[in-house]
Amino acid sequence: MIEFRGVNKWFGPLHVLKDITLSVEPREVVVVCGPSGSGKSTLIRCINGLEATQDGDLVVDDKRVGDPATNMTLLRTEIGFVFQQFNLYPHKTALENVTLAPTHVRKTPRAEAEKAGRELLAKVGLADKFNAYPSELSGGQQQRVAIARCLGMRPKIMLFDEPTSALDPEMISEVLDVMIAVAEEGMTMMVVTHEMGFARRVAQRVVFMDQGAIVESGTPEEFFSAPRTDRSRAFLSKILRH
Amino acid sequence: MIWEQLQDLIRSYPLALRGLGMTVMLSLISLVLGTLLGFGLGVLRATGNRFISAAIGTWVDLIRGTPFLVQIFLIFFILPELGVELDAFTAGIIGLTNLAACFICEIVVAGIRAVPKGQIEAALASGLSLWQRMRQVVLPQAMRVVLPPLVGQYVLLIKDSSVVSAIGLTDLTRVGWLAVQRVPNGLLVFAIVGVGYFLVCYPLILLARRLERRMSAAHGEVKL
Amino acid sequence: MLENFSFRTIVEYLPLFGQGLVATVWLSLVSFVGALAVGIVLCAMNLQRGRLLQAPAKIYIDAIRATPLLVQLYFLYFGLPRLGIILPEFVVGILALALNSGAYLAEIIRAGILSISRGQVEAGVASGMTYVQRMRLVILPQAFRVTIPPLLGQAIVLVKDSALLSLISVAELTRAGQLLASDRFMPAEGFITTAACYLVLYYGLKGLAGLSEWWLGLRPMGSRA
Repeated sequence: MIEFRGVNKWFGPLHVLKDITLSVEPREVVVVCGPSGSGKSTLIRCINGLEATQDGDLVVDDKRVGDPATNMTLLRTEIGFVFQQFNLYPHKTALENVTLAPTHVRKTPRAEAEKAGRELLAKVGLADKFNAYPSELSGGQQQRVAIARCLGMRPKIMLFDEPTSALDPEMISEVLDVMIAVAEEGMTMMVVTHEMGFARRVAQRVVFMDQGAIVESGTPEEFFSAPRTDRSRAFLSKILRH
Repeated sequence: MIWEQLQDLIRSYPLALRGLGMTVMLSLISLVLGTLLGFGLGVLRATGNRFISAAIGTWVDLIRGTPFLVQIFLIFFILPELGVELDAFTAGIIGLTNLAACFICEIVVAGIRAVPKGQIEAALASGLSLWQRMRQVVLPQAMRVVLPPLVGQYVLLIKDSSVVSAIGLTDLTRVGWLAVQRVPNGLLVFAIVGVGYFLVCYPLILLARRLERRMSAAHGEVKL
Repeated sequence: MLENFSFRTIVEYLPLFGQGLVATVWLSLVSFVGALAVGIVLCAMNLQRGRLLQAPAKIYIDAIRATPLLVQLYFLYFGLPRLGIILPEFVVGILALALNSGAYLAEIIRAGILSISRGQVEAGVASGMTYVQRMRLVILPQAFRVTIPPLLGQAIVLVKDSALLSLISVAELTRAGQLLASDRFMPAEGFITTAACYLVLYYGLKGLAGLSEWWLGLRPMGSRA
């Protein structure tokens, strides 16, 4: 579904992705973790072309990203992206946030999109917030709307860029619960997060990155119980202490 | 034909230079006086008691709410009736200084208010007097917010000085007005006058932009 | 002489001031609409990547900002006849005001568009919107609200700037004051009344600006954590 083959990326002199090779199967859930600045956000932002790669092949849903022949706008409709800062449209209500892209990009009839939007908002536990503006919602509620907004496009893949990092601690679980539900329905997901409980529960694989390279990759059990490198041990001891 | 007119205009360059000199002098004097007065009013407005603050606020509003042309007419035609004899240059200085002071006052107030409250509380807690708090803690931090619009205000001041030509002061604009009576080519004459102003104002505009960029880069903030 | 301040004369001239006020309002209004058109075009040119459109817009904006409106007004007033274009004074005045304010509005609109955070653009991109869809559905509606207060601020500046039209004998508020001053040798009565009329417009627009900010405050936009 997602395949990196020898992908490299530089920000000026900074080598931010080093020879990445990684393959994600349909219905697989992959958690990406690592210290800040390790390139994990950049990695998933490349998948829908928010960042350009400079070297190597990146194939998503059988289409090459960055290839002029690939219609990126079309490909992006198949990929949901959940941001750390939510990025809800502040001038639209929760329901309008969910229906905006389906009606304008997918050209779904308004009534149909709204019906689907209501169902999705109910599914993420916000049945009473259809007409609330983002500024009237808590961080956790906003992030759940953002997830519903992605689901509204019926994507084949969902990418999460540190979805709980901007949240107060008491709101983290309500967002994780929604993500778990999405995972259990068989969505292909790549999630950048430090929430190890989430990784243990739904991830088939944990990828550990450091300084732009994939250092270690394995099942959650392997990774948590027997990390193979010093760097991953040091990282785990830091986050598990909390 | 244009060439002859240009030569004719070039011959009158002493007058043009005098006009430019007048514009620069008028602007410079009012700029210095206006800045001093503006900072004084700004600090008073931000820290003074409610009555003083409201009085300054009202005056600033009256000046901001009326065209500079009307203000200069009021000064030039009414002060003599009150027994103050003044020429166009003095009237220009008074008008521009007052105008600059009012706008700069508002800029300074905004700058002072942009300093986080915790800074003032910290200064209070360490026992600094009002004057010390202003000079050591508040104003240095406020300057970052104040500087870009301050330079922008200087550009406005130089441009507004052209209005003083309406009461007969021989500044750059007036020189153009006189020249166009003799050489009937308004495009040429006022293009040259415009270049004169451009040479003075554009460097300041660039400076203001640089200050603004540096400031927003230093803060790294997203304006909403 | 101020002790002889004559309210009677002011009352006598009130109809003239009324006409002046009306003239100032509609001159400003027409100029503002023109300025908006100029500003939108300039801003659209300025936001293009290609230099071919961007450079002329930038040069125009800088040239306008670095020279006085009065010089621009004289440039058109004394210059247009030279090109064989004879226009009534008030049209020349509207043209000068619109061309001048347009440059400032272009910058205001641009700042509004650029103030929308990158995350909003990315959210649009990620859901597969085209450039036009992002502009229309995400960026412009938000930029519009941010832009209303500075737009009204520029409207205030424009109303005051229109006073300069009196110098090319357009009959408006300041001209009314000048007439009273020169006909009756009563500059105090003339210009104080003029100033008072401008203040009415100023406080009106200022109130509107406050109202718009209050309205925008009702539905605050901050969705940042």
